[in-house]
Formats: sequence, C-alpha cells, structure tokens
Amino acid sequence: MVNWVPPEWEDREMLAELGIGSVEDLFRDIPKKARMGRIGLKPSMEEPALVDLVRGILSKNRPVSGFDSFLGGGVYTRYTPAVVDGLLQRSEYYTSYTPYQPEASQGTLQAMFEFQSLWVELSNLEVANASLYDGATALAEGVLMALRLHPGKRVLVPGSLNWERRSVIENYSHGAGVELVDIPWDPTTGLLDIDFIAREARKDVAAVVVEIPDSFGLLDARLPSLKSTLGEVPLVVYADPMSLSLLEPPGSWGADIVAGEGQGFGLPLSYGGPHLGLLAARLSAVRQLPGRLVGVTQDADGRRAFTLTLGTREQHIRRSRATSNVCTNHSLMALAFLAYATAMGPRGLRRLAEAQHATVGSLVTALQGTRHLQVPRFKTPYLFDVAIGVEGATVDQFLSAMLERKIFAGVPLDDPRPVAPHPRLNAFLATAGPEIDAKAIARYASAARAFGGA
Amino acid sequence: MAFHQARWDEPLLWEIRTPIESKVDPIQGIPEPLLRKTPFRWPEPTELELSRHFTRLSQMNFSIETGIYPLGSCTMKYNPRVGEVLARDLSMTAAHPAQPVSTVQGTLEMLYRLEEALGKITGLPNVSLQPAAGAHGEFTGLLVARAYFHKKGDPRTEVILPETAHGTNPASSSMAGFAPREIPSKDGCVDLRALSDAISPRTAVFMLTNPNTAGLFEEEVLEIADRVHAQGALLYYDGANMNAILGKTNPGKMGFDIAHLNLHKTFSTPHGGGGPGAAALCVTDALTGFLPVPRLVKEGRKFRWSYDHPDSIGKVRSFYGNVGMDLRAFAFIMAHGEDGLRRVSERSVLNSNYLAHRLGKLLPRPFKPLVKHEFLLSGLPLRERGLRTLDLAKRLLDEGVHAPTVYFPSLVEESLMVEPPETESKYSLDAYYSAMERSIKDTDENIHAAPRRLAVGRVDEVAAAKNLRLSWRDLRRTP
Repeated sequence: MVNWVPPEWEDREMLAELGIGSVEDLFRDIPKKARMGRIGLKPSMEEPALVDLVRGILSKNRPVSGFDSFLGGGVYTRYTPAVVDGLLQRSEYYTSYTPYQPEASQGTLQAMFEFQSLWVELSNLEVANASLYDGATALAEGVLMALRLHPGKRVLVPGSLNWERRSVIENYSHGAGVELVDIPWDPTTGLLDIDFIAREARKDVAAVVVEIPDSFGLLDARLPSLKSTLGEVPLVVYADPMSLSLLEPPGSWGADIVAGEGQGFGLPLSYGGPHLGLLAARLSAVRQLPGRLVGVTQDADGRRAFTLTLGTREQHIRRSRATSNVCTNHSLMALAFLAYATAMGPRGLRRLAEAQHATVGSLVTALQGTRHLQVPRFKTPYLFDVAIGVEGATVDQFLSAMLERKIFAGVPLDDPRPVAPHPRLNAFLATAGPEIDAKAIARYASAARAFGGA
Repeated sequence: MAFHQARWDEPLLWEIRTPIESKVDPIQGIPEPLLRKTPFRWPEPTELELSRHFTRLSQMNFSIETGIYPLGSCTMKYNPRVGEVLARDLSMTAAHPAQPVSTVQGTLEMLYRLEEALGKITGLPNVSLQPAAGAHGEFTGLLVARAYFHKKGDPRTEVILPETAHGTNPASSSMAGFAPREIPSKDGCVDLRALSDAISPRTAVFMLTNPNTAGLFEEEVLEIADRVHAQGALLYYDGANMNAILGKTNPGKMGFDIAHLNLHKTFSTPHGGGGPGAAALCVTDALTGFLPVPRLVKEGRKFRWSYDHPDSIGKVRSFYGNVGMDLRAFAFIMAHGEDGLRRVSERSVLNSNYLAHRLGKLLPRPFKPLVKHEFLLSGLPLRERGLRTLDLAKRLLDEGVHAPTVYFPSLVEESLMVEPPETESKYSLDAYYSAMERSIKDTDENIHAAPRRLAVGRVDEVAAAKNLRLSWRDLRRTP
C-alpha cells in the first residue's frame, strides 16, 4: 500500500483524545439505510505495481513518433523549451491553490499579473483575466459578457464556426435566453456574408462573433473594417494567440472582446486537455469580466504587492448574480503560456508562425492535382490550416487510407453528430508544424495520390 | 522553528529586460491589411534569467509541499509525485484529440476504467469526464436536468439550494437558465420545513452538499430525497465534500440523481495555483441520454467515442475533458483501491474531528460536535480585542501554515472553515493547534501587524480595487 496516509497507530492516540472507541463511531450520523457495502474496487497497490499498471494501459497507445501528424485545427504540436515544464514542476506552483491570501501567494499572483499583461499586449485590448478553461469556454464567456454590455436577444455567429464551439456557446447562453443566428458563408471563398452582418446587426443583436483565423483556417481581409458597420454592438473575436505575432491584433480594429485558445503556447496536446482559455476586453467593461483578476497594490510598508481584485464580480460573493460561475480556472496553464512566450520572445514566436504558414503552403503545393482532393477547398488565404475537400469518397475513407500509411492526414470539419443541423462539407483541415519536413510532405503527397477513392 | 518566506522584491519581466519590438515584414499568402502594425512588445530574457525569475517567484508561494493548507471545502491533500511522472507519458501528452481512436486505445481504456470506478464510488453509473472543474460540472449537471424536463414536456424554472451552498451553485443555476432560490438552514443543516415550503411543481432541482459546508452530515438526507422526488424534482449532489464519505455512503444510496465530483479535491489532482481542476458528472440511468457528447463506449475489447445521442446537451467545452488530470485521478484511485479509499475518508474525518476537538478549546464551534471532513470555528470572541477573523488568518500565515477558508459560509459570524485532509499527520495537526494558540495569544498589536514573515506585509486589497492596475499597460499609465 502506498504511504500517502499516516499510520493507523496515530488513529488510536487521536481516538483516545476524542474519547471514542473506533473511527466507525465518527460515521454514526449516516443513516443505516444510506450506508453502502463494498465499493467494488480492487485492493490497494504499491507504487511500482501502480506504475506498471498505468504504463501497461498506456502502452496500448500507438506512439505518436511513428506517424507523420498533420493534425491542427486550433490545437497544435509545437516544441516547448524544456525550461517551461521544469518551472511547471516546481511544487510551489502546482500544489498551491487560488491565491486567497495574497501575502502567502505573491509568486502565483505576480505570474498571473504578467500573464494578463501578455494577453493584453498580444490582443491589444485593455484588460485580461487570469484564465478560463479553454478556447471554447472563453469564447462562450465572451459572448455572455457582451450580452451584459449591450441589449439584444440575438447573437450573430459564423455559420462556419467549429461545431464544438458553437455547441458550447449555445449551452452557455441558455441562461441569457438568446438566439444564435448563423451568419451565412460563401461556398467558394468560405468567407462570411459581411453585408448580412451589417444588415442584421441593427435588429436586436447583442453581439457579433467572428474568428481569425476562422474555423476553416481562413484569413478574412475585410475583418479590420467590420466594426465600423456595427455601431454600438459589441464585436467578439476568437483569435489564435500564435497568429497575433503576425497579424494586426483585434484590439486595433475595434474588437470589444477577444477570446482564444492558449494551447499552442507551451502546453502539451494531452488528448484535448487541460488547455487554456484566454479572454480580454476593454477596461470600461472590466466589471462585467468573468474570472479571476490580479491587480497591483502595496503592502503595509508601501512595497509593491499583487492581489486578486474586483472579487465582487465573482460567484463566491455575488452568487446568482455573478458574472460567471467559474471558480477554479487554468492558472498553471497560464503560467506555461507566459513562460513559453517569454522563452520564445516576440521574434521567436513570429518566426515559428511564419514557418508554420510557409510549411502549410508547401503541403498545398505538393498536393496540387491530386485526384479526389480539392486543395485548397476555398479560394482564400489561410494561415496555419488548409481546408481540403474530398471528392468521390468520404473524409473518413480518405483519412483511414492515409492512416494505413502512418499519416494523420487531418481533422474532419463536419459535425460528427448524426442529427447535426449543418450542411455537410466533406472536408478536413491539415496543418504542417515545425516537425513536418519536406520528406514528410512528400510522403503525404504520395499517399494521397495513391488513394483510389471510395 | 521560525518560518520565513523568501522576500525577493522580484522585478516584473519587463523590468529585467527591455522589451523587444517585433516587426512584421510582408509575408507571402497573408493579405497586407491583416499584417501586424501595432508593435508587439515583450522581453526576451536569457533562459537563466527566465528560470531565476520564476524560481524566485515560486519561493514566494505557499503550497501543500511547503506546509499544511487546510482551506475548507478545497481538500488540499498531498498530490502524489507519481501522478506527475505518469501524466507526462509521451503517448498521452503528445496525442492530438483528433487522432484516430485506434491509436489512443490506452488512453481511452484509462478513461473508461476511471468512469467505471467513479460510477461505483458514487453509485451513479453513467459518467462524463468532460467538465473542466467543479463549477463546470454543476453547470453541466443542471443543463442535463434542464434537457430532461424539456424532453418530458415539463419545463421547470427553479433551483432550490440551502443558504450554505457554495457560491458556484447559485451562479451555475443562473447560467443554466434557472432561477435559484436559497432557503434558510436550521442548526447548520437543511430546514425540512423551509424545503417543503419552497418546493413546488416549478422546482427542477434541489442542490445539496453532503456533508455540507458546515462540515455536518445531513442526517435527514433520505427524507429530503423523498420530498424532492415527490414533487417530481431531481436531487443534485455537489461533490466538493466527497472526501468525507468514500466507501461509507454515496450519492446513489442517499437518493441523489446527479452528482459532480471535483477530481482535484477528493482524487488528488494538483490545484495548480488555481487550476486546472477536473470534474466528473455522474447520473442515474434515466438521465444518461442527456449527458454531453461524445460518450465513451466499449465494444468487445475496443473503445471508441460515440456521438449518436440525440437527447444529448451537446458540448460544454472542446474535446473530451482534462485528460491529463483524469490520469492522475485514475492513478490515485487504483493505488488506494477498495480499502485505501475507505481509509482516506476515515482518516480525513478523524483528522477533522481531532483538530476540531482541540481547536474548540481556543475558539467557539457552532452546531453539533460530530463533524465530517471539515468544521467551522467562529472568530467572534476576537472582536472584543478589536480583531477580526481576517487578522487571525494573517497572523497564522506567519507560523508557516496556511489559513483556513474565512468568512464562508456566512451562516456563522467571523467564520473559519478548516479542512485537514487525510494526508496530514497527527504531528502536523498538533503543530497547527500550537500555531493557532500562539497566534491567538499574541499581542493585539502583533496580530494587527501580521504577516511579517512573508514576501510582503499585509496587502492593501481595497487600494487594488480603487486604483485599478491590471496589466503592464496600466502600470505604464499609472506607475
């Protein structure tokens, strides 16, 4: 048995002090009818056996190193400098909790202040919170925040929006009782109908959501002038933080709220979580911001100090009228984001982003003229992912054929639910990160050409 | 043994190195109007400078591995190191969520076995690991309840909860589209009469934490369940306090329909300075169809994700859950096993009663003496010395121990909520008693001046909210 609980002889001393005969007496307030028998678990095990058990189960995974991975779609394989995980493994960070007692937790607090500052610089907005769960929940919280800033019963969301993010927004907006309206997109360019947005924004709309790059991986050059057509309606932008090392930040073109997924900055893919939700807004809206916020102040001796602030927005004080129910956030992931960005520096981030964009370009070039594939699916600039259409077969059939050649060829774009409301695209996204070289691209192209269709 | 935390006066990152301004030249394939013109400024320290910065900051952080951290309702137990080693297995960390299921059978098996174990532990066999944290689990559970009543053609509008409920309960209720209604307590527990008065055909859910936030077991829980079910409503279990009852009772046995578990509390995944957490949502068979998609299914010896659940609420986040945290919880459960988990609760309840008994000699304890994994004290007697619970909490920090949760629940004036989890030894509890005793017996002047042995002195939280400076940008404007 592992040595994680102190020995039982201590129990006897403590029971004697309490004047009771057995630990069981401490559970006499649980009614007999509610008592349970065995849980039904196996006996305890020593640490070596535990390691064998867990590693044995995980050995049924196929090592990722045996495949060429072109999987992206918002979360990416990127090398993280070893120093980042080294810092994350300091138990002073990972075994502490929300810094309710600021004097004891200046480390976490200062790091979160620096993290907030970083997302402000990247997004060019004015205030950022100390993290949310992931990109989708950050976007949904951003929409709820917009609803508190502007009246209206409808929210315009991209028709091209990733099905998971759309579903999360839908679930988050039940309480607010709003309707999501899908902005139509052009089947050739993949881009949103900007005229539709301008027209509809005047009709009881509380917020407009756009993405850069969007869920098809595309860059819409018209977005920087979008805000001028919206008047007072808040513009909520979902942006990839890595893209912001290259692209004009949404804060510079009128975004009121910027949400994003921070995984690509120093966080392992971890099969989908834990990742990192980023949220920034205008300072005038700070009282509507959800989540923890760290501010600067001073201690009794006038020395600089950091503390959680504006707690009256939060559930532990405001209860049902809080800006959000969020309590535990993704603080450690925010620390990773901060340490990664600082280890890479603005120039390192930009070089990485440029290289990924260029490598995707090489993939597109290599796939030109491949039967059954439409590369790219849309005649529009893309950034880190290219949308590829499949003809004469299903996406699943193509991806399965590629898997046999040890290639993870892409992330399907269609909603996998059989009752999904959206039209089928039969397309997928492919990225090409730093670990993809010319040979891997050649292998992809050759495998794709060998695909015989359905 | 005197405690002194490191005091580094550590500069902010941009005070260590002058920030670099990154310029963007034209890039083929990216429309010119989209290229970054607003400078992105951030420092580029050397790796050693970076490492020193964050190492020094870490030394100004109290943590479980620094000392006892008895925050009530947070279950700050030891996080076994082996979990950190196992969770860094490359086949887990490097796996993309869109990878074909045939390549991640190990991870899926682990998740499946964790779901099974949590189903047995809660007595509610249908489990989703999608929620990212406890509050997210509550929200998901309430969406499930909402969908259930919607499907029945009986859309209900209210959630009832005790006034002692965690703040996340009413907040999650509002977000899920319900009107939360708080009812008063009696002797620290649910007042059955107030419950009966409040409950009606409009009631969708009654949310309850058992043991509750006063650390008391709600002995009338079966009667509560009957009354809730008699009105056709559902009973929700907030699993934040599950550490008290493993193997003794479970939400299913107590008559609950929905439960969430905070894996970062009971099942020991690290709290990360505020997160990530991880949650599991467990429900009865009648509610299975409403759980988020995808559901993990086993066919023969193979595992896959299933999306064909037409009644499902859909998604509450991207992908499948905080899988990296799930693995740590799985390792914790497997290591303890049947008897070990029961011992976890036995020792946590023993620790709590022992420390309550001892600290009860220093400060008054409200309600009945028998508690579960946590207990309340009142700092009210300090008032005649011109002191508050907050002052005592600050003075405690100087002893090298963390303060309890303070001012929650509001049921008790000047409350302190203490949770000494099972991983704390008798020695550690006795030391905590001594720390409390020294703190209370210290001079009023010293208590007011505390803390003095930490990285900073008493922090002016009011000034932080008055003169808001929330980023480097704000500091540039108002240094």
